[in-house]
Amino acid sequence: MKKRSSSSIFVLLFAFSLMCTAVSPQSHAAEDTTIKIGILGPFSGSLAFNAGEMKKGMVLALDKVNSEGGIFGKQIELIYGDTECKPDKGVAAVKKLITSDGVLAVGGGYCSSVNIASTEVANIEKCPEVVAIAISPTITRRGFEYVFRTSPDSPMFLNGINRWVEQVKKPKTVAFFMENTDYGRDGEKIWSEESKKIGAKELDHLYFEIGDTDFTTQISKLKGLSPDTTFNIASTTEAALIQKQARELNFVTQWIGVGGQFTEAYFNMCGATCEYAMGSSLEPTLNVKNPECAAFVKAYAEKYPGARPGIFSGQGYDNLMVIIDAIKRAGKPTGDLQKDRDRVRDALKTTDVKLSQGEIKFDETGQVYTVTPSVVQVQLKDCRPELRVIFPPDLATSEYQSPKPWDQRSCK
Amino acid sequence: MSASASRLKAVLGIVVLIAVPWIIRDRYFLHLLITAGIFVILTSSWNLLAGFAGLLNLGHAAFYGAGAYASALLAIRLGLTPWIGLICGGLVAGVFGFLLGIPSLRLSGPYLAITTIGFAEILRMVAMNWVSLTRGSLGLYGIPPLTAIRLGPGMRIDFYSERNVYYILLLLLFATIFCFRRLTRSEFGLTLKAMREDEIAAESIGADSNRYKLTVFTISAFFAGVAGAFFAHYQRLVSPETIGLGETFTILTMTVLGGLGTLTGPILGAVLLTFLSEGLRFLEDMVKIDVRMVIYGLLLIVTMLFMRNGVMGLLTRVTDSVLSRKKG
Amino acid sequence: MESLLLQQILNGTVVGSVYSLVAIGLTMIFGVMKISNFAQGDYSMAGAYVAVLVFAFLPGWLGWIGSLLAAAALIGLLGVFTEKFVFRPLLDRSTDIDIIMVSIGLFILLENLALLFFHATPRMIPDPFGGATIRLGFASTSVMRLVCLIFSFAAIALLELFLNRTKTGVAIRATSENRHAALLMGIDVNRIYGITFGMGTAMAGIGGVFYGTLFAVYPMMGVMPTLKAFIVTILGGMGNLRGAIFGGLILGVAETLGGTYISMEYKNAVGFVIIILVLLIRPSGLFGRRESL
Repeated sequence: MKKRSSSSIFVLLFAFSLMCTAVSPQSHAAEDTTIKIGILGPFSGSLAFNAGEMKKGMVLALDKVNSEGGIFGKQIELIYGDTECKPDKGVAAVKKLITSDGVLAVGGGYCSSVNIASTEVANIEKCPEVVAIAISPTITRRGFEYVFRTSPDSPMFLNGINRWVEQVKKPKTVAFFMENTDYGRDGEKIWSEESKKIGAKELDHLYFEIGDTDFTTQISKLKGLSPDTTFNIASTTEAALIQKQARELNFVTQWIGVGGQFTEAYFNMCGATCEYAMGSSLEPTLNVKNPECAAFVKAYAEKYPGARPGIFSGQGYDNLMVIIDAIKRAGKPTGDLQKDRDRVRDALKTTDVKLSQGEIKFDETGQVYTVTPSVVQVQLKDCRPELRVIFPPDLATSEYQSPKPWDQRSCK
Repeated sequence: MSASASRLKAVLGIVVLIAVPWIIRDRYFLHLLITAGIFVILTSSWNLLAGFAGLLNLGHAAFYGAGAYASALLAIRLGLTPWIGLICGGLVAGVFGFLLGIPSLRLSGPYLAITTIGFAEILRMVAMNWVSLTRGSLGLYGIPPLTAIRLGPGMRIDFYSERNVYYILLLLLFATIFCFRRLTRSEFGLTLKAMREDEIAAESIGADSNRYKLTVFTISAFFAGVAGAFFAHYQRLVSPETIGLGETFTILTMTVLGGLGTLTGPILGAVLLTFLSEGLRFLEDMVKIDVRMVIYGLLLIVTMLFMRNGVMGLLTRVTDSVLSRKKG
Repeated sequence: MESLLLQQILNGTVVGSVYSLVAIGLTMIFGVMKISNFAQGDYSMAGAYVAVLVFAFLPGWLGWIGSLLAAAALIGLLGVFTEKFVFRPLLDRSTDIDIIMVSIGLFILLENLALLFFHATPRMIPDPFGGATIRLGFASTSVMRLVCLIFSFAAIALLELFLNRTKTGVAIRATSENRHAALLMGIDVNRIYGITFGMGTAMAGIGGVFYGTLFAVYPMMGVMPTLKAFIVTILGGMGNLRGAIFGGLILGVAETLGGTYISMEYKNAVGFVIIILVLLIRPSGLFGRRESL
């Protein structure tokens, strides 16, 4: 009896799964009325909001190009793959985009651990992947010729801050309080080397997990050590909570982070408490001296009234524009997917465009080397937090302010 | 239905399974099948504990993850061939299974559940923090696939493509199900079931429940570990999330949906939910709402309340009543 | 002069009291109904979101007190509802597994419903004290955290009064001691179950408001409180109300001191390690499993 039901089940199962495959879109990959570009990102989960910002920037680019007639007379279609910021989901998503959906190239990105894996897959499958936002150096340092990145890597992000630390701040003692991820640990390595270089004493290395909400233990420990500067790499929520809890525990230090936490949600959460925090930023609204950037900010404001173009929208916009530019220069698709992908890869190598982050050119590893993030500090205007560029002097819009003790601060 | 006819049906089923990659060429579909297959091993092994032995193990992902990391590390650090790595992964997981079996000797219900969760969480934190060994949250990438088999001059079967991986998985699946079938129908299996119902009564007829519990934990963990190792060499990437509570909950939902305590239930649940998940994802893209996990939760509740024996139980009841109507 | 050790003990005590608030409900529910509610933390999460909604209409102190009341009422009702339709039908089943599974299903459902409606971006519940801090000689903490500590003790005291002095309270204790005898005495056991569960979830809801004010509100926030609540109840004894407070304080301080002096990275593992050790030595928890409330 059992054997009979079980084999009937199997037959039923396969009928069911065949139905599923028939219904889902991938079986219609043969029609080529659009130019398909795959986009990876953590569209669900705790980073969904930030991924959404990246998407908004991309949609701005998409609508602009499509409204001007698309490329080679065809409209561009974006196919999104949700990575959930988990490497295995990311690998499955990129595989689907490349094999089932047959995209010409893959863009987007966010979490380094995901993109390290996805680029490996893309390279094996010989499909160009142009990464945005994820900053781990490993992504472009494995000699993968199909992999490119339109965003700076962590050494580039931290370079500006390191110059400032050497020339302006010159701390005697430092501490490290990092997110326990590659994002945190990569930065930690760089700053640790920098500290040794300037002769600062490393007092302690502390960590936390994404999703932690109570940092009082670590902050109390830091308080006992009194570092001049605390390097803190964290994402939006944790970064805001750390600032708040530092206040509750009466701890003052110069907080320095990468800058990825300076999102609108962060400022809403910590308000005036995050005064004096520093980082490196690609925030478009800071670079309005650059005409392309100003144009991007204006176009963004028109398309999304009331929304602020944050760091992720600019990077998303640039990422897609670079891919589109390469496809244009690669020439009209021949219909042989592998051949077309190779041509796009070749075109990407010679990219030279000016977009919201500045000039985009790739070096021989596929890494953009012409984008320079600014060194910023959170300063208050009417008790509301704003980012101000404070270094280098020729680009600065404001002066560095040293953190005051809590009871001397006028804004609460 | 005569024995030879039912055997014919079984053979037919196997032929269909073998023919699938030639009928449906879509690589993503094969990827789904492989994913489902790995879950089948996970659900079946979990079912051994929860369904047959009545031991609620909420740390199953730890066995899976341990096997994955072990095999991956052996391959990357020592250059060990993944074929042996599969067995090693299983053995390492088996050791953990034995360790986790020890508290199960004295604990039950929520106490056991929390202990198993704790065990898995500690392992996950080790994977996250022992960066020099596991690369922390970055995960282990660049894991070599199953080593290619050379059949003769110019004839090589490599394991980069989904199709060849699928066939190895089929072999693994047949072996696993065969083992579990023998196990559950043996005296060992019957004793387990007796212990589940009434431990004291089982002991009174001489069953050493300690030995049984430790053995079933070790066996269950071994198979989960092999599945983990297999996954590591297929996906070529493992990260600490693999040891997360979410994975265990997925395994749990699949098994319950399919039917706890039966052999075919977990198989059905794994395949059904993997494909349902894909179908739902397609729906989600259309309506722009994430309902997949909401439906998982609802399914779990509804199944527990109304379909205690899962879909398998439902189908068995249906076929039984159809049969009895035919006869009567 | 501020002392690191005393500051950390204070931190741990305060964090522990937050754990206790969620654990009180869990231990009550287990004590009376023998239900291990893996969704307990999600009731807290729901309570936190109730507060977020209340604050959209009522600001400041009014909003905060209103949140506490609304959370207690609404989440309590949610508890009564889920008890009646989800848990009660399973009470007759012979194994624990069914109830634990269904509570896991509830956990997945509630968490993802919240994700669907409120999205993943964290919200804040405004601190009515405006982040004011207190400097005791040896340590500092925020006024809010101190209030949380005091509140959890007060909650236990009130609960004990309720259980000992009121008719319903005594009925609850009777039911937890011997369900059949209670039935024979004319107690409407089903009603008692509903009330107990509702009270347990209401406590969780209030705990959620505190959690949300001290930290942040987001759909996945229920996982940790659930696990910590279980650790606390096992430490304090399942069904043991006072144990919930002591268990919470022990866990909080152990985590904080363990993190400070042993290893910060494994801070969250401290609770699990303690629990595994305790259960290996004493399978019924540190203060023992009470047969009744």
